Amino acid sequence: MMRLKEIGTFRLISGACLAFLSLFALVIILAGSIFSNPSALVSAFLSEEVQFAIALTLLTATIAAALALAASIPAAYLLSRARFPGKDFVDALINIPIALPPVALGTALLIFFTNTPLGVFIDNSIVKFVFEPPGIVLAQFSVISVLAVRLMKPVFDGIDPRYEKIARTLGHGELGSFLKVTLPLAKEGVFGAAVLAWARAMGEFGATVTLAGATRFKTETLPVAMFLDLSLANLEGAMAIILILLALTIAVLLIFRKIAYRGDIPY
Amino acid sequence: MGRVHRIHKVVVLVFMVGVIVGAFIVTRLGPYFSVDERKIVVFAGAASAPVLEEVVRMFESKYGAKVEIRLGGSGSVLSAMKIARTGDVFIPGSPEYLSQAVKLGVVNITSGHVTVFAYLVPAIIVQKGNPKNITSLEDLARPGIRVGIGDPKTVCIGLYAKRLLEKNDLWDKVSRNIVVYSQSCDATAALIPAGAVDAIIGWHVFKAWTPDKADIIWITPNKIPQISYIAGAVSAFVQDRSAAEAFLDFLASKDAQAIWSKYGYFATPQDAKIHAPNAEIPPLEDLT
Repeated sequence: MMRLKEIGTFRLISGACLAFLSLFALVIILAGSIFSNPSALVSAFLSEEVQFAIALTLLTATIAAALALAASIPAAYLLSRARFPGKDFVDALINIPIALPPVALGTALLIFFTNTPLGVFIDNSIVKFVFEPPGIVLAQFSVISVLAVRLMKPVFDGIDPRYEKIARTLGHGELGSFLKVTLPLAKEGVFGAAVLAWARAMGEFGATVTLAGATRFKTETLPVAMFLDLSLANLEGAMAIILILLALTIAVLLIFRKIAYRGDIPY
Repeated sequence: MGRVHRIHKVVVLVFMVGVIVGAFIVTRLGPYFSVDERKIVVFAGAASAPVLEEVVRMFESKYGAKVEIRLGGSGSVLSAMKIARTGDVFIPGSPEYLSQAVKLGVVNITSGHVTVFAYLVPAIIVQKGNPKNITSLEDLARPGIRVGIGDPKTVCIGLYAKRLLEKNDLWDKVSRNIVVYSQSCDATAALIPAGAVDAIIGWHVFKAWTPDKADIIWITPNKIPQISYIAGAVSAFVQDRSAAEAFLDFLASKDAQAIWSKYGYFATPQDAKIHAPNAEIPPLEDLT
């Protein structure tokens, strides 16, 4: 009897917490619908500029998420499995971008590419990042890659290394056992991390605007377009863009979930 | 068998979505990415964007030179110019940033080229329809009126508002009604459409930014001590000085003046002086 009551209270508190956290999403939608209206939304969606921003945001966020995934899967795996001197230090070091405001990250990258010999060489001879569209991808990557590592490391931590050892005894190499055994087991966690990283890249603003600048029809992602509208006190336009970004992200997330998991969604 | 069928369907679905999204991206972005050509790079305060973009279209078709505008807060784009040592022209939202640019070595006034394009007059901006019936600076001191101004320490329109109130011996009374000191020019303007306050002291052009949400109450002309202006300068990092100077001159030309007026700016000091006959126009050297 006592036990049941405790569970009841706990359930109640958990439910209240979940409801409270959902409020943030509701507040965004509410604010959007107060300061925007269907006609502003439609005209924003049909404008050439917003369509450019949608296309650029989708393209850059997807490239950034793919690159972040490619880099962070092996990095997270290494952090989870390997022992090497200075590992704790490296583990702490890579967290730094999470603690910094993205504007600081963007400023640091801007200084690197314009004031150091190596940065200048890369920017002039390999890929032009400064005030150019590739800078958007790099800015997004710098923000989301660490996030992906942090999300994936516990996934690998949770997989018993004995499975890999057994795969090795059956003739797979280190890479083979990782690809055939560990990665399939980590699939859901990796997918969850990828989705979150992609969504975060869609909304990245601070690092982007500092490194790639805000030039219409060039480096204008949806968050940058929203910022430019706010600079003119155009709240309707800004809220319309927020709602478009929101709808786009939710739509893509739902499509991916449907494709990846028909039925039960594990995250 | 069923599983193979399912995977097949998923692959087809992903492929189709990919093709549609890919085609959308290519058609939207394609036209804007052409081979790099010679261009003037302008770093500008974002509030002037609508005017600058219209003027740029005219300039490009007349002179055959490309202009790329990089927008942002005036201070942020100035920082970017300083760090990256780049940009041909700097056009901040208020002249204070030009003197800041001189201090930072981004603009060199002696060899640089400073041009004034448009003038700004302080005014009271109220909610559409003026529901609180605010007709003068004195009304801002009325009990219960919620007033917003820019932070006088960091935002130029805030400093102008404070000087204006002090000059008319209203600062003590009105400051009791000030409920918010906003941190940028556009944040000050946004207080009215956001419904956060009854009135702000802003630039007259704020009314033109949000015509459906705001009304303007002109301040008694002889009470205005100072007006401001929008000016631009050739940067110290300029690549093509003659093109940069041509662009600045074009921004002050008759053609461009029509565009400044269209967006609610005063294109000449005479126009501005109608609303502020005794006001001084502070020269760049006096600004800090």
